[in-house]
Amino acid sequence: MDTQEAVAESTPVETDGQTESKRDGLKRITLGPNDSLEGKLTYGGHMTVEGGGRAEGEFRVGGNIEIGNGTVVKALLEGSNVTIKGELEGRLTARDKLYLGKSAKLSGDVQARRLQIEDGASLNGYVRMGDFEHQAGS
Amino acid sequence: MIGQVYIEGDLRVAGVVEGEVEVTGNVEIDDVAKVKASVSGGDVSVRGHLTGPVVARKRLIVARSGALIGDVRAARLVIQDGATFSGKISMGGSFEAPAPAKPAETPPVALPEPEPEPQPMAVMPEVAAVKPASEPKPQAAVPAPAPVKPTPAAAAPMAAARADGGKVIGKAGGKAKAAPPPKGKPKRR
Repeated sequence: MDTQEAVAESTPVETDGQTESKRDGLKRITLGPNDSLEGKLTYGGHMTVEGGGRAEGEFRVGGNIEIGNGTVVKALLEGSNVTIKGELEGRLTARDKLYLGKSAKLSGDVQARRLQIEDGASLNGYVRMGDFEHQAGS
Repeated sequence: MIGQVYIEGDLRVAGVVEGEVEVTGNVEIDDVAKVKASVSGGDVSVRGHLTGPVVARKRLIVARSGALIGDVRAARLVIQDGATFSGKISMGGSFEAPAPAKPAETPPVALPEPEPEPQPMAVMPEVAAVKPASEPKPQAAVPAPAPVKPTPAAAAPMAAARADGGKVIGKAGGKAKAAPPPKGKPKRR
């Protein structure tokens, strides 16, 4: 129960075909099928949960967050670009863009600067868009 | 236009509408449209500005040019990148029931006086009721005594309500559509 593939900057993780870390030099944590993370995490890089990896708690990351297909995450999330293709229960803040893929299921309140939802995705909760300066909002 | 629109068929809005819109078919809100109303329909696509609660029995699409502020219930939901959305989203089950029921009750309410003319404009035998000024905005005083024109040129007071055989025609000229001649319509936002 734990996993960290935090990779140093210049060593992008290629496991999931992503090369973001190569581009922006951020570290990345990837939780795979046998991994689980519970608790509170504050992290400067990207975070990916995929293949059934488990994550529960509160995660605030400086980079992007991706929740892969078939993965269920119960957490309060905060990241720059957040991509959800699996399921998320909990509040979510995307400082930049939130993307819900067609198999995504999200229940929880959402705050995002930009929002894109594909047909097939399901979302239940309040949505607020706009710049983050005003995130406190109503 | 200001008032209520109930249509059996589809509706396309290309002007300013305030009040309530209920459509058995699909609703399209064009880029130039500004709607401040509760809207319900099968497929609802928003490319303009819509403020108000929305029920989409089938699918709600907020295109990149669209802005929707209001609570939403939809069976399926698509929001394109670039769109603006704010409100509560409820998806999945349960709203099917109320939706159909509601339209039924609306028609009974008599229309004030607006529809004297047998004109083609009002055409839709099915456009059940277009009530201007019923209850929405205070300012909605006199609907337009003016006869509705079939011609696009003339500003049809209730142009918005136009539907042809299930097919809808919004108004051609973006604003022509919803311009009630008599009232200075308060073009909201």
